[in-house]
Amino acid sequence: MAAAPDSPPPGSDRLRTFAKYSGIAFQMLAIIGLSTWLGLWLDGHYHTKTPWFTIGLMLLGVFAALYQTIRSLTKES
Amino acid sequence: MKRLLAVLFCILTLPVFASEHAGIPAKEEAFNPGEMILHHIGDSHEWHWFSTDNGHFTSYLPIIAYRPGKGVSTFSSEKLAPKHGEAEGAEYDGLKLHHEKLVTTDGSPVYDFSITKNVAALLGSSILLLVVFTIVAKGYKTNHGRAPKGIQSFFEVLIVFIRDEVAKKSIGPKYERYMPYLLTVFFFIWFNNLLGLTPGAANLTGNIAITLTMAVLTLIITLASSNKNYWAHIFATPGVPVALLPIMIPVELIGIVVKPFSLMIRLFANITAGHIVILSFISLIFIFRSAAVAPISLAFGLFINVLELLVSILQAYIFTLLTAMYIGGAVEEHHDADYQMGGGDGADVAHAPHH
Repeated sequence: MAAAPDSPPPGSDRLRTFAKYSGIAFQMLAIIGLSTWLGLWLDGHYHTKTPWFTIGLMLLGVFAALYQTIRSLTKES
Repeated sequence: MKRLLAVLFCILTLPVFASEHAGIPAKEEAFNPGEMILHHIGDSHEWHWFSTDNGHFTSYLPIIAYRPGKGVSTFSSEKLAPKHGEAEGAEYDGLKLHHEKLVTTDGSPVYDFSITKNVAALLGSSILLLVVFTIVAKGYKTNHGRAPKGIQSFFEVLIVFIRDEVAKKSIGPKYERYMPYLLTVFFFIWFNNLLGLTPGAANLTGNIAITLTMAVLTLIITLASSNKNYWAHIFATPGVPVALLPIMIPVELIGIVVKPFSLMIRLFANITAGHIVILSFISLIFIFRSAAVAPISLAFGLFINVLELLVSILQAYIFTLLTAMYIGGAVEEHHDADYQMGGGDGADVAHAPHH
């Protein structure tokens, strides 16, 4: 029996959904964190006066995180 | 009840006694909770079980060091342990321990392949897993066609759950190839989370090297089983204009690495945080130097400890589920939903007959 699209998913499916969406949150954190770290490392490595690498990669990280989130949320519909 | 509480008190406070350093008079030295907690969740070259008023119960583990030019040297870590009344560890064969890191006295490079506490715990838990699951597998041979017996009936529920709710739903018709890895990951994490909660045991799943290894395995398996649909989604994402592709491709490529990276961080952070919270509550007794705090910190400590029992299976489940989803994304075919497996949560609804 197929559940109606609007009704909340039963037991294990709810746990599954929880795991999936918490996974997306962790991915956002990881993308922004990793790209910021890479930016800081590059700025330190090239001794840049203005931390362009940090700024650029941080913004890219935020953008990439948003893009990944939107993609994984819309993929299944 | 009173006796039970007394036993619980002893067990819960064991980690604190266990962490007091050898030879340091506890009364003169101020109690440092941060140092105690970090020492407790970290790896070490000896296995410190617990201490009493007149002695420490420690198992010394083998040290295996490789130095370029000098070759391999193997000896017991007892030789590097601090001598009575000293805070710093002893020197042996040009090697010493500096904050649990093996260094040479002259500063030349040394590669540490020692059987540390975590490695010993890893070997021990692997043997435990092998023994338990050999018994379970043997049960299927002897009870073939009959109802499961003993330990087999306990694990069958979990194995079937991983197969039906995790593998089939996330991976689809090709799920069978990945069952050995998914089951291994699930039970390895769960067993080690539980073992990590026992007093005196090592904190294996709270070690980032262990979670890194598992995340890298997931990455390798995902990449090795990826098909052309997976790569087409990355290098030519459907619905994205060609002009945007130079931006999209790096973003998609970041996604490949970030997925296992988030697995690594999540397991490590959850287990480490749980251990830190429990130890912090117990440290309160020693910070306030009063037994009156004990009931409160004990109650909270016990609560978190019981919560950690739930967290240990939940984290094992989440790691396994997300691994299965990442593999599922790599092996997905367009018609998978027709098998009533995989294809995501919307698959059943999309193919349900219209009334």
